[in-house]
Amino acid sequence: MLGLNLPVVIVLAAVGGVLAWRRANTLTWLLYTWVALWAFFKYGFAVPIPRSVATIYLGITGLALVCFASSSRERLSETVQPIARLILEPRYRLALAGLLVALPALAAYNVYADLNVPLEAPGFGREVHPPPPTEMTVHDETVDMATAENPYLHYNHDDPELYGEHLENGRRVYYENCFWCHGDGMGGDGMFAHGLNPVPSNFNDVGTLPILQSSFVHWRIAKGAPGLPGAGTPWDSMMPAWEKFLTTEEMWDVNLFIYDFNGYEPRALGQH
Amino acid sequence: MATLAAAVLLVALPAGGQVDLGTEEQRAAGKIVYDKYCGQCHGDTGDGNGYATPRVKPKPRDFTTGTYKFRTTPNGMLPTDDDLRRVIEIGAPYTSMPGWPNLTSAEIQNVIYYIKSFSPDFENPDRYGEPIEIPRPLESTEESIARGRVVYEEQGCAACHGEVGRGDGPSAPTLVNDKGDPIKVADLTQRWTYRGGATKEDIYRTFSTGLNGTPMPSYADSLEIEDRQHLVNYVYSLGDGDDPNYGTLITAVYSEEPIDLEDGETLDALFETAPMTRFPLVGQISEPGRNFFPSVTSIEAQAVYNRDEIAFRVRWHDLRADTSGRNSPSLEVPMWDEDNGIGAEAADDGGDDFFGDAGGDDFFGEFGGEEAPAEDDFFGDSGGDDFFGDGGDDFFGAADAGPPGAEFSDAVALQFPASLAPEETPELKPYFLYGDSQNPVDLWFVNLTYGVADTFRGRGSESIEPTEADIVEAVTSYDQGEWTVTYKRRRSSRAGVSFAEQQYTPVAFSVWDGFNRERGNKRALSSWFYVYTEPSVQPATTFPIVRAAVIVLVLELLVVFLVRRRARRQAAGEEAAGGTLAATEAPAV
Ligand code: HEC
Ligand code: HEC
Ligand code: HEC
Repeated sequence: MLGLNLPVVIVLAAVGGVLAWRRANTLTWLLYTWVALWAFFKYGFAVPIPRSVATIYLGITGLALVCFASSSRERLSETVQPIARLILEPRYRLALAGLLVALPALAAYNVYADLNVPLEAPGFGREVHPPPPTEMTVHDETVDMATAENPYLHYNHDDPELYGEHLENGRRVYYENCFWCHGDGMGGDGMFAHGLNPVPSNFNDVGTLPILQSSFVHWRIAKGAPGLPGAGTPWDSMMPAWEKFLTTEEMWDVNLFIYDFNGYEPRALGQH
Repeated sequence: MATLAAAVLLVALPAGGQVDLGTEEQRAAGKIVYDKYCGQCHGDTGDGNGYATPRVKPKPRDFTTGTYKFRTTPNGMLPTDDDLRRVIEIGAPYTSMPGWPNLTSAEIQNVIYYIKSFSPDFENPDRYGEPIEIPRPLESTEESIARGRVVYEEQGCAACHGEVGRGDGPSAPTLVNDKGDPIKVADLTQRWTYRGGATKEDIYRTFSTGLNGTPMPSYADSLEIEDRQHLVNYVYSLGDGDDPNYGTLITAVYSEEPIDLEDGETLDALFETAPMTRFPLVGQISEPGRNFFPSVTSIEAQAVYNRDEIAFRVRWHDLRADTSGRNSPSLEVPMWDEDNGIGAEAADDGGDDFFGDAGGDDFFGEFGGEEAPAEDDFFGDSGGDDFFGDGGDDFFGAADAGPPGAEFSDAVALQFPASLAPEETPELKPYFLYGDSQNPVDLWFVNLTYGVADTFRGRGSESIEPTEADIVEAVTSYDQGEWTVTYKRRRSSRAGVSFAEQQYTPVAFSVWDGFNRERGNKRALSSWFYVYTEPSVQPATTFPIVRAAVIVLVLELLVVFLVRRRARRQAAGEEAAGGTLAATEAPAV
């Protein structure tokens, strides 16, 4: 779900819960926030986020925490007092010595690790659902994106038999054309998916079809990757422009089918 | 429940006769699952003729025949429910048969009952065999592997699988399954592509029980158990690891040496120092000329550079070298051929037209009669012919006559953007598919018939022109099922991309297998990846590490010193002032 590594997220949340229950002091919270964030970036995602991005976030968070700690006299003293005690009180001498060794070692290790990260191909963000054009032409017909809807959707109520025929045709179109990438169960995991970057959309996901209007989906099917604006990195995506292969009816039918298969409905017109 | 029933039956019937067809309700529940998830490939009536069938290879199993590949039961027998469950849960890798991890155990059992109802064989106790026992693998010692190698040779595995297991044995191009479809021999070096599973137990099972319906025989009768265990170790040792470890980056290493393509040994030594990355290839299915079942699924690449030149080496496996035909990136592929019969011009209205052969003859005239689409081809089992081109007859003849007479040759291309992305939009690249009108690509194309590199400039699939701005040299070799192509070019280019130090340059790959009639846009290709030219002088690493430690230590000591000094002063002040302020002020270090 959401590409998160759930066990890690749960453990981090649990630690936070324990701290709240034990009424941990401000310093502990500050340290926890930063370390938890670091752990989240490093282990919390199924596909780890780029190191450089994580470093920037952690830097910003660090600054924010310092600001937070020094925002009031009380907080400041709550943060600083334990540190002062560690340094001053003789009974912490051993702990202090340990810390004096551990921190430089950690810093050295971090630099070492930085120098030895396996090189990565540069990664660029992409907008998954960039704004569509206001209108488009598909097979010589102009489609007004604001008002277009799947013309067969209403058969669902009006004429179930006809609806069934369109669905079956959509099923044919899907399994003749789409499953290599989007997968047999539409999980975005077809037999070619491992070779694609960006990966094919997962239609099981609640964050995909249900939040899109059927005209948006029609646009993506008809114009494919080449129809995307620059923010959608059209040069990388293998999503074909299906108007080259399919009739308008077939494109609406497969549109109908991918919604029906997953038990979703397109977002209604006018909803944003 | 099911196992209980099976256990009861097992007691009641003679060994092997575990007929268990489930209840009416179970089969009905199985049908619901099947109709939603399986029928589009295996056919709504279980005959293997679903919508996807003409466009996949291998074909979905025809459940009416009772012939199953992946079984623990002896050759020719029906699979056990557990065998079927295994395939349904994890699928058959690198085929269109996916795993279904989302189905519950009960759903899988129900769909198994339903599948079994397609074939009367499952009612016949004589078709059930006792599952074989799979012993624990022997330790993989050198002796064991050596003994396995001997068995491999004695048993003639190499005739199909090739000397070193790359699927390039002399019979490989001629093999067909029991439906007459050409069948690809497993590449034993790429374990992740084994359809029946890649563990030692799976391998033992595969050649012990054989794969029904395919030329892959059973060796249960001809091999002692111990020899089979050694053979497992040998087959396993051929593999390149469990995981393909697909990468996204070629790291080009710097060398002082000259790069001489003519001097094979020095060249090999030079590439020894460069890391090898494997990239996934998939069929080109975004533009007309679609290739739904590419034969090559991955390519390995590495690069070295010196002061003036850069060299790339790519390697891939191919069951035979096709070096007599023609090929080029822009060779036209008729719509009918690419789609194996289904589909037609986009503007068509659907319906019958799609399946008729309107316009078909013209296209095929050009390529010779054997491709003319017989009506059966569209839906029948023989849709396979296209895969292996001219079909059997020609082939056997050709095999005797020396060079195999494929119409299209093997080929490979590296693709680079014609220029690097501008600084404001570093993410910008040409369209991965031969570029686009604004952002062209350069192709370093090698037709393996000639073994020399030709350069093309691509501005989209419709506009691929030869260029001569840069000279790219290439040497090629084919050895035991593996092509190796080494390219070389000057690092700086007059018209295309230059390879500066520490630069990330997008790169993509295409491979054409002539045997699979791949040409033009019908090819295996990759997404965009990158090549990085490593700095020629590696930065020192000890200094920054020590520096970091020292800086942190100094900071720490400084804090400790300041805190202590302050505390001392305060103590002194307290003594003087009688300690009134200390309680509130002390903490603010
Ligand atoms: C060659 C692989 C490939 C094939 C075949 C393919 N797609 Fe896609 N598709 C993709 C990729 C990759 C993406 C995600 C990147 C993008 O948005 O372009 C995508 C995205 C989409 C989206 C956009 C979803 C969203 O969240 O915006 C839709 C809709 C879609 N595909 C429908 C289809 C349909 C319908 C078919 C069959 C007629 C099909 N695709 C066939 C690769 C493919
Ligand atoms: C996209 C196409 C596709 C879908 C969907 C699909 N299969 Fe398959 N299936 C195949 C192909 C192709 C093979 C043959 C693999 C081979 O020969 O290596 C196969 C083989 C099988 C086999 C035979 C394995 C053997 O030992 O021979 C079983 C059983 C099977 N599928 C069950 C299912 C079930 C159950 C479903 C639905 C839940 C399903 N399949 C959905 C394509 C598909
Ligand atoms: C007559 C040709 C032939 C011979 C001889 C042969 N094989 Fe095979 N083998 C095949 C074919 C064809 C396949 C692919 C079957 C498929 O994918 O459906 C295969 C597949 C395999 C697989 C992989 C199965 C999978 O899960 O994908 C293994 C392992 C294997 N063979 C081992 C052997 C060993 C070991 C021997 C010798 C003892 C041997 N084969 C002899 C033709 C042969």
